[in-house]
Order: sequence, then C-alpha cells, then structure tokens
Amino acid sequence: MHCRTLYATFRRNFIIQLRAYPKDFFIGNVLSAIYTAVSAFFMYHLLFNGQMKDSFAGYAGTGDYISYVIIGNCMYLFMVRTLLNVSRSLITELREGTLESLMLAPFRRVQYFLGNMLQQTVTTSGEVAVMLLVCLPFGVRFSGFNGLAALIGLALALVSYFSLSLLLAALMLYTRDTYISQNTLFAILFLICGVTFPVQYLPGPVQWLSQGIPVTISLDIIRNSTLGGMTAAAQIGSYVRIAALSAVYCIAGFLMIKKVESAALEKIFG
Amino acid sequence: MLRAEHLSKTYVTTDWSGFLKRKKSKVEAVRDVSLEMRGGQIIGLLGINGAGKTTTIKMLSTLLQPTSGSIDVDGLDGVRDAIEIKKRINMIAGGERMIYWRLTARENLWYYGQLYGIDNKQLAQRIERLLGMVGLAEKQDIPVERFSKGMKQRLQIARGLINDPGYIFMDEPTLGLDAAIAKELRGYVKDLACKEGKSILLTTHYIQEVEELCEYVYVMDKGTVIAQGTPKELALLGMENKVLCVELHENHERLHRSLTEACQSAERNCSIIWDGKNMAYTITSSKDLSSTVAKVLLEQQAVFKKFYGQEPGLEDAIIKLSRRDKDGFFYEGTEGRDEKTA
Repeated sequence: MHCRTLYATFRRNFIIQLRAYPKDFFIGNVLSAIYTAVSAFFMYHLLFNGQMKDSFAGYAGTGDYISYVIIGNCMYLFMVRTLLNVSRSLITELREGTLESLMLAPFRRVQYFLGNMLQQTVTTSGEVAVMLLVCLPFGVRFSGFNGLAALIGLALALVSYFSLSLLLAALMLYTRDTYISQNTLFAILFLICGVTFPVQYLPGPVQWLSQGIPVTISLDIIRNSTLGGMTAAAQIGSYVRIAALSAVYCIAGFLMIKKVESAALEKIFG
Repeated sequence: MLRAEHLSKTYVTTDWSGFLKRKKSKVEAVRDVSLEMRGGQIIGLLGINGAGKTTTIKMLSTLLQPTSGSIDVDGLDGVRDAIEIKKRINMIAGGERMIYWRLTARENLWYYGQLYGIDNKQLAQRIERLLGMVGLAEKQDIPVERFSKGMKQRLQIARGLINDPGYIFMDEPTLGLDAAIAKELRGYVKDLACKEGKSILLTTHYIQEVEELCEYVYVMDKGTVIAQGTPKELALLGMENKVLCVELHENHERLHRSLTEACQSAERNCSIIWDGKNMAYTITSSKDLSSTVAKVLLEQQAVFKKFYGQEPGLEDAIIKLSRRDKDGFFYEGTEGRDEKTA
C-alpha cells in the first residue's frame, strides 16, 4: 500500500508548524506543563492536606494523587491535540483557501487524516516528555511501570482518539464551526472521562455514559500500566473493549464524513 | 472530449425564522446547461455575477454533484468515475487561494504532486519544468507568503498543471492582477492550448481576454445558457443598430442640413448627433446608411478626417443579452446583480 498522501501531509504539517511557531510553541508547552504540575501539587498539599479518601485508592488503583492527575493530563493533551488536528484539518483548509485544490485531487481521505494525526502525535510526545520532566520535582512517580502494557495502551489510546476525531470532523464540517463543537466536547470529556478524578465519583448514568467513550478506557489502561504495574496480559479485556469501541467510532466517523462531505461542499461552494 | 448535457443544480437552503422554526427553500443555480470542450480549444463562459458560471465549473470539476444531467469526460461518467476524472482535470482560480502560504513554491508543487500520486522521478522533472515555465525557478525555495500577487498567480498556474491535466478550468485567473502580469498570464493560457493541446474553459469579467483568447463562448444568465457562438457572432447579437462616424476638419453648415435631410428620408427614425468639440457626427440607424452618407459628403465636397462604421462590441452584447428575459424583453431592475462588474 502506498502511503504517499500520509507521508506528504505529515511532512507538510511539520514544515508549516516549524515555520509558523518556532519558539512560542515550545515556551507555551513548558508553561502549560508547569501550570499542570503546580496546580496538582497545590491541590494535593494545600486543599487536601496530603490526605485522600480511602475510596480514592480503591477506585484509582493508587494513592498517589499527583501522579494520577499528571498522567491524566498527559493523556488529555494527546486527546485534545489529536482531536483538534484531525477534526479541524478540513476546516483549516477551507479557511486557508486550499480546500478546493485539495478536493480536486484524487487523494485517500484516511491517509490524509492519519498524516495530520501522526505529525501531531510526534509533536505532542515531545510536549508530554517536557511535561513529565517538569513534573518530576513535584512528585510524579511511575510506581508500577510496565513498558509493554503502556506501549500497547498508548497505541490503542491514539487509535481511539483518532476514531473519535473523525466523528467530530464530520460535525465540524457540517456546521462549519470549530469553536463551539470542539470546546463543548473537550469540556464534557474532561469532566466525565476521569482525567483528574475517578469516574466512580460521578452519578450512575454519567458513569455509564463515560464507559461508552474510549477516552475513559484509555486513561484506565495507561494508569494501570504506569502506576498500577498491570501487565498487558492482565489488561486484555480493556484492550479488546477500547479496540471495539474505536472500530465503532471509526466506521461511524468515516460513514458520516462521506455523507457530510458532499453536503458540506454544497454549502461551501454553493 | 468533455461534454456536459442538460446540467442542472438546485440548492436547498434553510432559513431560520425563529429559534426552532425553519423554512426550507430551493434555489435553482444552474438550469439545463449543455456545453462541449475539445482538445486545444479555449472556451469562454461569460455572464454577469450570479449567472451560474462558478457552479457550472464546480460541477464540471467534480467538486459538486449535478442535481440532473450528465458529464462525460473522455468516456468517463462525471459522478460515477469522479476519482478517475480528477486525474485528468484541474482548476486555476483567481485571487490568492489554492496554495499553502507557509510552504515554498517547490514544496507546494511537491505536496500536490503527492496527492495526485505522481511517480517521484517524474514529479521532480515536472516541478523543474513548471517552475521554469512560470518563471519561478529562481524563487522556488522562498515561502509563498513572501511572493507578490503575480508570483502567487504564476504558482497557481503551475499547481493547476501538476497532474498534466487535459482539461483546465480557469475561474477569473487574472483577477486583481496588473495589466503587464495579466498579459503575461494570457500568454501562458494561449500556449497551453496551442502548444500543449490542453482544453481550457475560461470564466472572466475582462472582455478583452475573451476576445483575445476564446474561439467559442457560452453566455450564461440566471443559471442557463442564453447565447453561444464565436466572439464575433455574439458581438453582432448585441449590435441592434448600425453606427456610422464622420470626423471633419472644420465646421460645415450646409453639410449638416443635407446630411440630416438625406438620412431622415432614408430612415425616418435615425439619429444624427453632432459633437461640436470633436467636429464629428454619430449617425445611428436600423439600416445601413453608409452609401447615403458617402453620397452627401461627395456632393457637399466635405473634407473629412475619418468616415467609419463602429465595430460591434462583445461587452455590449453580453450586457444586452443578460438583460433580456425569455420573451426577448429588456428589464430595468438590477436585483442581485453587480452592474459595475457586468
């Protein structure tokens, strides 16, 4: 299979990002890492006085709140960046005046979206590395780290974020709106997917809803692999669940994009 | 050959009349349009703003699906074989769209070449050739955002040729360019058709471009083709009266009386306008009065600088054709139209 659209889009985005935000981007990343670490540190020590309810350790699988929050934030960053970059890609082309020329070409949509995602994943990995380094002095520890389980978990998490972003892309393209749709979704996901606290503290129906979103499962897998010391074999059930959910979202996303694309093009070019 | 038959496009628009109330309405943007493009031909698609030219081009270029009608490109179906057709067509638009400003000229062409799946070796050669052709070889590694408007437009042409298309749709390609660059671009367009055998469909508001480049023209109004023919044939459609001009060296009292009498006896409703400042007569009539006027000039031994019949203009023809309704009457309103650009 030729992946020329994937590689070309990956390379194009890298060049554009390097030319557009060379220094500001790095400074912004370091600052957001410091902000995340400091807020978790102060919450834990000043608000909670270093004490967590017994139920927290039971739900989270660890009593280490700072590591729990920081790992949650790192994965949230991967999710936001993937969703932003993949979902907004066509709208960005429209705003930059390149959508027509792009749509004239006989390229593969899946490769185009994957190219956008991979470039963003590489950049976000750098950001997360910086974030973890900055957070080390504040007490982040990988108390039970299983490399293989974490690696498989990260790969599945990225696939699930990609599939979620296809649905959002269809919605954005149809409404031609990025701000309301993306920010509403991010706020909901932050609240119900267990980024900063276990979902078991949420009301029953919301917990049920959050289990239908792959982000919740991805956070569980990564935390179990980095803090809980669970092996890949022990997490097979979670891997299957996230893969199945991702497949559903992915198929639904592509079907929706296919349907929405022609309607959106009529709205845009008509 | 590209052949479009009975193309129509209807948009469904939704108007929100309240928080929850919505009203759907249909807008017929293009109605029953048929046209043909052959290799090496430059075809003009003219009309005032909102006539349906751009929607027609978008359908021909597979960006929009027609509501009804068919498009045939070298035996391929415009809807069913859209992916294959995309390899054989391209579009060049005016303005500064369709290229990535943060990429260099070379990077832009490389990226589009990859999207078209062109073989890497062939792509490298084609990029060299196209950059040389549009005069950007020296500037190929400068980001496009630093380019002038003319350079961006030249890059647009190169981008539109990256897949070596047989059919090129040009939507106002010289929009906003100065006269020298516009002339240079017209040269490229001519060469593409004459030397490379490309088939080009051109929409423009600059009539000079059409007269210089197009061998056949379709005139659209209110979504439909209202006239077609060569630029000369169309110009004659707009010429309802014959106009004669006589420029004199000096004022000639007797000539004025004789000319008026002779012309009015030949055609009662003719109009004779004397421009004292330029010492010139403009005689407008439904009949050809050139022999009558020549006879009077000889009889009165009038010495004249120039005596000529005014050539019919394509611009006038298009304005007149676009103002005529289906029963052949002119209308006065300008609803939804931009008179200045017409």
